[in-house]
Amino acid sequence: MNIEKRFQQISQSIFETPDGDSFIEKLHGERQKRHVKKMGIINGITAAAFVAVFGLITTNQLTDDPAAYASNDLKPLEVMDSETEEYVYDLAEYLVESSDDIWETLAFLDNIEFEPVTTMHEGGIQ
Amino acid sequence: MKTDHELIREFQDGNKASFDELVKRHLPNTYGFFIKFTADEVEAEDLAQDVFIKMFKALKKFRFESEFKTYLFRANINMSNTYLRRNKWRNMLHLDQAPEQGYMDTSYEDEWRKKELWDGVAKLPSRQRMVVTMRIAQEMPYKEISDIMGISENSAKVNYHHAVTALKEKLQD
Repeated sequence: MNIEKRFQQISQSIFETPDGDSFIEKLHGERQKRHVKKMGIINGITAAAFVAVFGLITTNQLTDDPAAYASNDLKPLEVMDSETEEYVYDLAEYLVESSDDIWETLAFLDNIEFEPVTTMHEGGIQ
Repeated sequence: MKTDHELIREFQDGNKASFDELVKRHLPNTYGFFIKFTADEVEAEDLAQDVFIKMFKALKKFRFESEFKTYLFRANINMSNTYLRRNKWRNMLHLDQAPEQGYMDTSYEDEWRKKELWDGVAKLPSRQRMVVTMRIAQEMPYKEISDIMGISENSAKVNYHHAVTALKEKLQD
């Protein structure tokens, strides 16, 4: 059969177009489905990246030296050297002795939770 | 009746009903293209659906530099090329199911010849394939084909001529 005739046959073939409304309904359904799937993939990748970065940062902070953890755990939270401690005590004592209202000064020291000085001077006050 | 460009502007402003209107308007042509291309109603509907889903995204950035019809037809051609690249032609044309020549009745023979022809088209070089597809599936004039493909009218004619010659040789084998 002549090629052009075959072309003509195909181009003149009769077909029934699908119903517009149902096609559009299916189109938007499929579009939504693909969108949800795409978002799922993006969320999955984001979560995996977050876990990887978080894990990497955490791992980098760890050290192989067990003594570091032991010494940290056993160390008091605040340590003053003896010179500082002496200075702070002297300062507190000066405040108490030079104040016009000793009760107000003791209340102040109590507020800042300077317990040692408060206790130290309790006997003196009496 | 609103023009395609008016509908696209409305869609870009957030009116989805305008997109639906556009789909209804161009569904017969798009579906017609794919039904002639695949000879399979389900495949044709799926391909048309894929094209319009792509359009839903693409039209938000449409720059009104060409006619929507031309833009849509390029998308149809790209979609058919994608399928060709994935080597789905044989499945689409159901060539494996074609019976032996001796057992064919006349009505089936016509269908088989169509499939044989499309198989030949599928094997043509890209540009020739596109020109022939537009000529067969849409009976498009060379002027329109040259506009869509961004080539000269003469080049479209030459490509068509080479394609027909190649098809004749292939189908005589």
